[in-house]
Amino acid sequence: MVNKALLSTLPDDPRYLDASYNVQGPLPEEDRNLLSNLKPEERELAKQFWEAVKSDFRFNEYLRGCLNCGVCTSGCPAAKFYDFGPREMIQYMMRNEVDKIWEFVNKKVWACVQCYTCSMRCPFNNEIAGLIMLLREYAVKFALPSAKEVLAPYRRVLLTVITMGNQVTPDMIQPDAFPDWGPQAVEESKNMDVYRKAIPVDLLQRTDIGWHSSLQTAVEIMTIFIESGVLDSIKKIDKDLYDMIMDIYEERKQTLEEIKEKWKKGELKEEDLPDSWLEL
Amino acid sequence: MAQEKVLVIGAGPAGLSAARELTNLGVDVILVERESYLGGTPKKLKYSLLFPELRPASEVLDPLIKSVEENSNVKIYKESIVEGAKSEGNGFIVSIKDKNGKVTTEKVGAIIAASGFEHFDSRRKYEYGYGIIPNIYQISDVERMLSENKLVTTKGTPPKRVAILLCVGSRDATVGNTYCSRVCCAVSIKQAMEIKQRIPDAVVHIYYMDIRTYGLMEDKLYWKSQLEYRVGYIRGRISEFMRGPDDTVVIKGEDTMNLNRALVVPYDMVILANGMELGLGSKQVAKALGLEFEEHGFVKPLDPDRFPVLSTRKGVFLAGAITGPKTISDSITEGTAAAIKAYEYVTKGVWEEPVKVQVSSH
Amino acid sequence: MSVQSVEKKLEEEIKSEFPYADNVDWNEVYQRIIYRYSTPHGLQHVKEELYKLEDEGEIIVHHIKPENNPVEVQTLNGFPKKIPTTKLWHHKSCGQCGHIPGYPTSVFWMMNKLEVDYLDEPHQTSCTGWNYHASGASNPVALAGVFVRNMWRAYETGYYPLIHCGTSFGHYKEVRNMIILHKEIREKLRPIMRKLGMDIVIPEEIVHYSEWLFVMSKKAAQQKKYDLSNIKAAVHTPCHVYKLVPEDTIYDPAVYQGRRPAAPTGTVMNFGAKIVDYSTWWDCCGFGFRHILTEREFSRSFALFKKVIPAVEEGHADVFVTSDTGCVTTLDKSQWVGKAHGLNYNLPVLSDAQFAAIAMGADPYLIAQIHWHATDVEGFLRKIGVPVDDYKEKFLQYLQDLREGKAEPQYLYPKHRKIDFYLALPDRVKWYKGNK
Repeated sequence: MVNKALLSTLPDDPRYLDASYNVQGPLPEEDRNLLSNLKPEERELAKQFWEAVKSDFRFNEYLRGCLNCGVCTSGCPAAKFYDFGPREMIQYMMRNEVDKIWEFVNKKVWACVQCYTCSMRCPFNNEIAGLIMLLREYAVKFALPSAKEVLAPYRRVLLTVITMGNQVTPDMIQPDAFPDWGPQAVEESKNMDVYRKAIPVDLLQRTDIGWHSSLQTAVEIMTIFIESGVLDSIKKIDKDLYDMIMDIYEERKQTLEEIKEKWKKGELKEEDLPDSWLEL
Repeated sequence: MAQEKVLVIGAGPAGLSAARELTNLGVDVILVERESYLGGTPKKLKYSLLFPELRPASEVLDPLIKSVEENSNVKIYKESIVEGAKSEGNGFIVSIKDKNGKVTTEKVGAIIAASGFEHFDSRRKYEYGYGIIPNIYQISDVERMLSENKLVTTKGTPPKRVAILLCVGSRDATVGNTYCSRVCCAVSIKQAMEIKQRIPDAVVHIYYMDIRTYGLMEDKLYWKSQLEYRVGYIRGRISEFMRGPDDTVVIKGEDTMNLNRALVVPYDMVILANGMELGLGSKQVAKALGLEFEEHGFVKPLDPDRFPVLSTRKGVFLAGAITGPKTISDSITEGTAAAIKAYEYVTKGVWEEPVKVQVSSH
Repeated sequence: MSVQSVEKKLEEEIKSEFPYADNVDWNEVYQRIIYRYSTPHGLQHVKEELYKLEDEGEIIVHHIKPENNPVEVQTLNGFPKKIPTTKLWHHKSCGQCGHIPGYPTSVFWMMNKLEVDYLDEPHQTSCTGWNYHASGASNPVALAGVFVRNMWRAYETGYYPLIHCGTSFGHYKEVRNMIILHKEIREKLRPIMRKLGMDIVIPEEIVHYSEWLFVMSKKAAQQKKYDLSNIKAAVHTPCHVYKLVPEDTIYDPAVYQGRRPAAPTGTVMNFGAKIVDYSTWWDCCGFGFRHILTEREFSRSFALFKKVIPAVEEGHADVFVTSDTGCVTTLDKSQWVGKAHGLNYNLPVLSDAQFAAIAMGADPYLIAQIHWHATDVEGFLRKIGVPVDDYKEKFLQYLQDLREGKAEPQYLYPKHRKIDFYLALPDRVKWYKGNK
């Protein structure tokens, strides 16, 4: 019989494993992993998380095997700056180490820069950067603290891309937002209006959107994000953002339908429309 | 009974060994070789010492070459290829074409294909920069440098720091070669020892995933290189090479004994242990003889366990690296085996077909 | 390189190996040679499945037609890839349009110069790849939906999609493979597309603009206005262009003997500049998707130490040319901050499109919009003999006039109709192109 009270205080150090053997007996490795490193309140969630990742249709396609050669880590830009390496992740996955995966996904997984060098070079053809994305996707789906933390400064970008179909707004360059980009960024932000007007393409002349997408396009991308369940994940992580997007969706959808209807009936005069639906 | 004849394609260790055995058995041999000399790849690339005994390659090959070249029962076509083989009865009418385009036909009772392998062309692993970055060589280049005693960097001086990277073009799905080439570990360790013999103060590091000095080679190579030569073994595969200052090569790898520890280390010379592939020569032979390929791209034997030297075409036998990576001694053994099988075929008509056997317990 | 020339190369290879074998039927031997250059990534398999699904009526394939005037080039494993050269639908990049607007305008300007027919529409969304790789806030069905929706908009116009962004290009290659190989994704995707009045459409090739520019570069370079032969250019090949679905990237024997991606290196070469090599050519720029926004100490350190400094110190480069959104941004914006540590680097960074357009005589401000760059692009322009000061004076006057309402904005192609900013109407191509 396992004495859990004693176990949870045992450090994760091979020197103590012999001592723990007296207490826990011959435990299967998976169980020992679970017990040794995880806080009791996290065990169930960690298990669920890992099972969910493993049952994704991409998992067995992306994870093939590991020769432990280190080609992935040696080419990895993030490994040069962070305590991170793709081989580490692959090894945890191959060994089914729930506690290590849990630790990894709660911090290190966000170090990857998604350059795909590891994937291209892996002699076993693992889709390593894809596995990182799988972990990140499920971190968002499970609303893990690390995902919340990462998404917090990112909500404006998410709002823009989902509601306008465009990831980037020119006016995100503010005089104080990019101090490390130097005086040119300040100059740019000060002249943003006229700089945009001087771009010889009408779609690129606004400061609040990278290119001017059509209203129908904006509604369509929101529909895709809602129907495919992305918004359900966002709801768990950032309820305010979710509400905001849903409100915008309802409003724009209705406007679109009205305009469509009128156009069909021939009741819409093009010249009466504002230059942009963003001004409605 | 008319004098029996067997065609042997390729005059490397396997082909030479087959030719010698056949003449010993009283069968005449027609030997076709693409190059102007006998000896195959070991001669072409000027192999230096052979593993595991570190004896000169010529000590093994030259007697074999001599015994065939001086044998009046072997008719040798150099600088020629076999263009086709039409079946006639149990034998073949083969057409042999020389470099001037002259075609000769010969009637033979059996064929032994022993046209061997080619080294993997490391330019295909383009992140290694072979051919672009100076002072990166392949084991196949280094053999010649060693045998000519000209192991020097682009500066003309002997290298003081040498890195050898194993598994280049082997065990690597990115180039489509998922097999182990079997000999490169042994060759690389042998080269490391040869380098240390000549340049005792050189630092030699071998970057490896696994060391496969199987069988009796373990202590003669892997252990000896450490005991006697202090060759360093670093566990990790290098992912790319960079141009370093002063014509050095900087390697990028991971020391996989420590987690997430990158290695960025300069060397004077880097050697890529490029593996084995079937190569164009054997592909042409396979095409001319109508042989099949197995999944790794080598020629498929009739049954890899029961009939390793029989091909899928009746009367055609296989020997050496045409069916997969092999050592020189394995190739010589297979040449002998193929000779016996061909002898049985031409004298007694023995050709065993694989039989499906019902196995109850599997 | 066309299929014929790929075969010719193989033929030459065999000829040199077997000078005496000239009348053998080599078909089967060729097969084995192709195996030699193939990997189990299996792009050929994906292509076969694509056409199978088309035959079964599961998907619509947007074919490259003779009217697209395609050119055949060679991919990593020697297989041919068709690059359409005209009648193109611009799939723009959000980062380019937002922060490097001279990037797409240079492409449009060159297409005008080369008389290439194209369509640029407000009915496109981001690929959402940047968002996905940064935050993970998406899923396979959403990614597939965004891809197919954009591809549908191109398909209904009859113009062939040309992808501007490197991430979109790499990401779309992956998404395409996923849709083709996974029935469950198609089954979840179809009802969503139906709801939008669309079907699953997949273009037969995913084509990056840098591939288009590479195949056009010899022709474009004939209109070159400045001599670049004294220019040493370092090239950064964007990771997402050649490391995602690596076997679907083009290579050319003339570019490092086919051992580095053809674009943009080949483009820069064809314009006559000297390519300089540097040790970290393979490394990423440091963009990192989320790092550029929220962990910039990584981005700027990596860009400076692993890319800019090696390019300058080893290659003595005059200019850094690359072909993706994030790379231009990161390499360009990360140099100024080095001053804080006494690292005074100011290597001009340009996209291949801007580089080529400027060489062809495009206005560096009005067209290449170099005032959005932080590095010393003007210094580079002076080096090749562009009358920078004249252009600048004219442009500053233009800005002044725009501010004061004295000038009307200029356009590279006619403005869109107002209704086009609201609805994607089926007859819209006719408004802009007539009944062509």
